[in-house]
Amino acid sequence: MKRKTMPYFLMAAPALALFFLFHTYPLLQGIFYSFTDWKGYGDWDFVGFKNYLNVFQDKRAWDAYLFTFKFAVVSTILVNVISIIVALGLNAKIKFRKSLRAVYFMPNILSILIIGFIFNFIFAHFLPDMAKSLGFEALSKNILGDPDLAWIGIVIVSVWQAVAFNTILYLAGLQTIPSDLYEAAVIDGAGKWKMFWTVTFPLIAPFFTINMVLAMKNFLMVFDQIMAMTGGGPGTSTESISLLIYRGGFSGGEFAYQSANAVIYFIIILVVSIAQIKFLQKREVEL
Amino acid sequence: MKRWLSTFLVTVLGVSLLAGCSAGGSEAGGSGEQIQLELFSNKSESIDTYKQLIEQFEEKNPNINIKLSAPPEAETVLKTRLTKNDLPDIISMGATQTYGELARAGVLKDFSDYKKLETIQPAYVKMIGKVVGPDKEGVFGIPYATNANGVIYNKTKFEKLGFEIPQTWDQFISQLEKAKQAGEIPIYFTLKDPWTAMVTWNSLGANLAPDNFAQLKNQGKATFQEEYKDVAKHFLQLLDYGQKDVFGVGYGDGNKAFANGKGVFYLQGNWAIPEIVKANPDVKLGMFAFPATNNPEKNRLVSGVDVLLTITESSDHPEAAKKFIDFMLKKETAQKYTDEQAAFSAVKGVFQKDKTFEDIKTNFENGTITGFPDHFYPAGLQAANLVQAFLIKKNTEQFLKKMDTTWNKVLER
Repeated sequence: MKRKTMPYFLMAAPALALFFLFHTYPLLQGIFYSFTDWKGYGDWDFVGFKNYLNVFQDKRAWDAYLFTFKFAVVSTILVNVISIIVALGLNAKIKFRKSLRAVYFMPNILSILIIGFIFNFIFAHFLPDMAKSLGFEALSKNILGDPDLAWIGIVIVSVWQAVAFNTILYLAGLQTIPSDLYEAAVIDGAGKWKMFWTVTFPLIAPFFTINMVLAMKNFLMVFDQIMAMTGGGPGTSTESISLLIYRGGFSGGEFAYQSANAVIYFIIILVVSIAQIKFLQKREVEL
Repeated sequence: MKRWLSTFLVTVLGVSLLAGCSAGGSEAGGSGEQIQLELFSNKSESIDTYKQLIEQFEEKNPNINIKLSAPPEAETVLKTRLTKNDLPDIISMGATQTYGELARAGVLKDFSDYKKLETIQPAYVKMIGKVVGPDKEGVFGIPYATNANGVIYNKTKFEKLGFEIPQTWDQFISQLEKAKQAGEIPIYFTLKDPWTAMVTWNSLGANLAPDNFAQLKNQGKATFQEEYKDVAKHFLQLLDYGQKDVFGVGYGDGNKAFANGKGVFYLQGNWAIPEIVKANPDVKLGMFAFPATNNPEKNRLVSGVDVLLTITESSDHPEAAKKFIDFMLKKETAQKYTDEQAAFSAVKGVFQKDKTFEDIKTNFENGTITGFPDHFYPAGLQAANLVQAFLIKKNTEQFLKKMDTTWNKVLER
């Protein structure tokens, strides 16, 4: 090892060790157990790919994948659109800019579980009561209790919570754009809209990439919101993959089977993320 | 100075060594040394009661400290702790699938020789033995409190409508119809929480399907499609008498609403009663066994072991833990628990005196009792969400088929 790289290595080593211990090692364990029939305790045998084959035949797992992807795609798009708009607003020369930034970041500080419980109350009591007193009969019920609408409730809460973090990233991106570019654009006679599409958006492309990938990954792993708000219900209409793995693996006594599901799930998230990076990086421009 | 220091150190060392010896040497008994026990409970409703009981126990046994842990999703927590070999000393839990698995895994003490087992009603000892199954012999827990599934009713409304306790399904339905016409909500459902559907499912299933359904199903001799048709039909019929938003109300909200006069009937277990009374202390409640069939003699009360007490094999202080269980099984203690939790006792001679339970007392007295069918389902089935989905979609055939295929798949895994 060269003398120059040594300090860097030493700095990274503790983190690497911790990462391996608490992240990589359990992952390898999970992969190992997915080839057994372990229930989480007691004796076990190797069963080969049986668990994997069973996952592919499991209607409940298919439904969970379908729901999770639907949810993740919709939420990712919404989060990115909203957070770009909010970031542009917070980057403009407005009054109370700094305190507004703090206010918009608030949802990200709160625990998702607590947010979930609060919104649970809003959906169960506050909104229906309000709709009733205003005379909207159609809206006077808890949407979390309707299998066709419950996912929308979860999207609303998840997006509300996630926008804060993505906005911060976009804000950071907006600050990397030198102001002389805008001055040049003004001289060329560009309007606000044109300026956004030709200057701002291309230049925050790297941030757009990272936000899309992060948001998609996070939403594919959705868990707490659903746990707090619907518990996967009504029926199994909002059962996400992580929830299914957790429920089936721990309380359902199917540890090895759900480990196999988790490995599949891991590979899918990996593939989706890499594909997104590859695709989105192509359209990034260098200044 | 140095000499002073070394004397001090030697003294400290000596004292600590002595203390160490005595702690390892004898168990429970002796004086001065402290024993720390962990009591794990899966019931959030009984936390306050347990705290008081523990205080009483610690007063009499000053050398034993009991730490109560009652986390949410307790059975899952217990299972994850099992994988880490970090089990509590005493476990207080229901005779559920998890209990069966723990007992089969060999982590619970065998109480077959425990003297106080004689003070427990043998029917319940048998019931928890059935949950463990025939593969593992022994008694791995002491049944303590039992529960009952049925129909809770608002006495004031019930009397105003001129009703009497329905003995048959048809009578029950006609009352529901009358209540509806009188402008009341006949049944208040809390189906946002899937498990609340299992209360009714069990009441119906226990009376309309064969007793050993799970066993037959595992042997391939019975299917949901054949045996549960009536259960599904009856359940759907009941839904017609619910409030407007039956899938939008959860258990907690439902308890409050029922306490405040919404609904004439509430399909729940006795455990809901303290919660309802808490929400409105003036409410007058009654409870009767679910009239699932048209033959009054066939309608049995669904009752199971709600709390059993057991000690883990890995406990360092089994004697002290046993002392606590002895204390819990005393008549006064059991009576206090029974009163506060609106439960029924598995301890002989301890009765629930609350007037609310007058109507189901006869079931206990003449033994028209049966267990919870879903305690014998494979855990991986996760029946509650499937039942909830069925109640929303109302497609009986598809649902029963799904129960069958899922069950088979879970067994194959």
